[in-house]
Amino acid sequence: MKNITILIFFHLFFKGLSGQEIDPDLMKVKSRLDSISSFSTQLKLEVDISFINMPVKQAKMFYTKGKKVKFSSDDFVMLPKRGLDFSLNSLLEYSFITVDRGLEQRSGKMYKAINIIPTDKRADFSIATILLDTKLKRVVESEISTKKDGTYSLSFQYNNELKVLPDKVIVNFEIEKINIPINFMGKDTQLDRKKMKAAGAKTGSIYLTMSNYQIKTVL
Amino acid sequence: MQSLIKAEIIKLFKQGKTYYALGALLSIEVLILFSAYYQGTNIIDLLLENLKQKFYFEGTLLNGNLLVYLILNTLWFHLPLILMIVVSGTLTAEYKDRTLQTIMLQPVSKWKFILSKYIVAIVFTLMVVLLLAFSSFGLSYAFFGRGDLVVYLNGLNFFDAPDAAKRLQWSFLSGALSMVFFSVASLTIAVIFKEATKTWIVSAFFLILSNILLKVDFGDNWFNQLFFAKLNDTWQYFFYYTINWQQISFNSILTIAYCIIFMGGGIYWFNKKDIG
Repeated sequence: MKNITILIFFHLFFKGLSGQEIDPDLMKVKSRLDSISSFSTQLKLEVDISFINMPVKQAKMFYTKGKKVKFSSDDFVMLPKRGLDFSLNSLLEYSFITVDRGLEQRSGKMYKAINIIPTDKRADFSIATILLDTKLKRVVESEISTKKDGTYSLSFQYNNELKVLPDKVIVNFEIEKINIPINFMGKDTQLDRKKMKAAGAKTGSIYLTMSNYQIKTVL
Repeated sequence: MQSLIKAEIIKLFKQGKTYYALGALLSIEVLILFSAYYQGTNIIDLLLENLKQKFYFEGTLLNGNLLVYLILNTLWFHLPLILMIVVSGTLTAEYKDRTLQTIMLQPVSKWKFILSKYIVAIVFTLMVVLLLAFSSFGLSYAFFGRGDLVVYLNGLNFFDAPDAAKRLQWSFLSGALSMVFFSVASLTIAVIFKEATKTWIVSAFFLILSNILLKVDFGDNWFNQLFFAKLNDTWQYFFYYTINWQQISFNSILTIAYCIIFMGGGIYWFNKKDIG
């Protein structure tokens, strides 16, 4: 009898450790996103970084499930490394655990907050917090702390309740000001350098507006 | 006056050094173009180094517009040097060959004679800049295509290809004004020194000094605004994200005023001095 009690205890203990459940709401959102086999969209990019002046740019984005996202543009465009992975693939690529952080309010609405913590060393982020609209099964906000590239916070906006792919994404990130040697390319660079030292790291934003989605779903 | 100008044009294009100068300028331009191509890769890497951590880049910045911009950066030193040699040579050669005395034996007014030299020098300078502008755009676009331009001036400024081309054209125009100033100055120096070698040394010194003083910050005062050496990088103002047309117009008018002052001084000096 004693042996059976010990056996049951160990069974429950190890089950609790190794089989930590992945948040079901996250999986619902994931499976909804996974129903999209490919899509293409027209991107409008607006860069808001204090030391960068760039006109509004246009690009085309192509997504095929299981493949790397592709872009094409006639102009030179800067695309944020995070923020364009609408499929959540980069977050859920390797094994992970989730922690329910309760509800958070945004613009008068309550959303479910979840921490995603990778358990595989190959993951390129250490923790991600995402806000889920559990009713409409979509992501509304995320904050990703990467191992190499700092922290990104993303805000997703949708034009209507049915949409799973966002119509507008705001990507916020930290960025260090560029270090240009004195007298390099142009005038007054020495003055910039003084300012630069005082300024240190800056925050920047990129506003992405998507239009003309062409979506193919898995039947 | 017209016949004097015609005669000066014929003299300018008959002298061998004009063609040597044009050949040298075009060779320098091609050399700069290819060195700029290799330099361009490093420049873009340096400019975008920090951004690479956060962004993917689509498209290339190493294109004809960047190369024209890099050519401009180098050209505004080499071009006036060669222009000054050719332009001042039109007068020093006349002193050396004593053709000046022959001309002055004719019923030719001294001030008209020297004024025609200044006019031809200005026209020649503008023609050379135009030729270099065409060849710069032509070669750069033919080999490296068009594309967006990135310039570091008070931050990273990105310009769309058509906007970049317009700004580059404006900067050629603005640079042409600076070149006219150096040509006029070299002719005035030739009036003062008469002898070719002395004139070239003084002209080169004048150019180098102007370039050094351009980099010196005299503070935010009237001298920094009005000093002629400070006007020679007006072409760079076209690469600020928002073009300060008021400042550019002011600098251009001031450069023209300096040209007139130097030209007036040269004419006065030539009239006053003995030819021999």
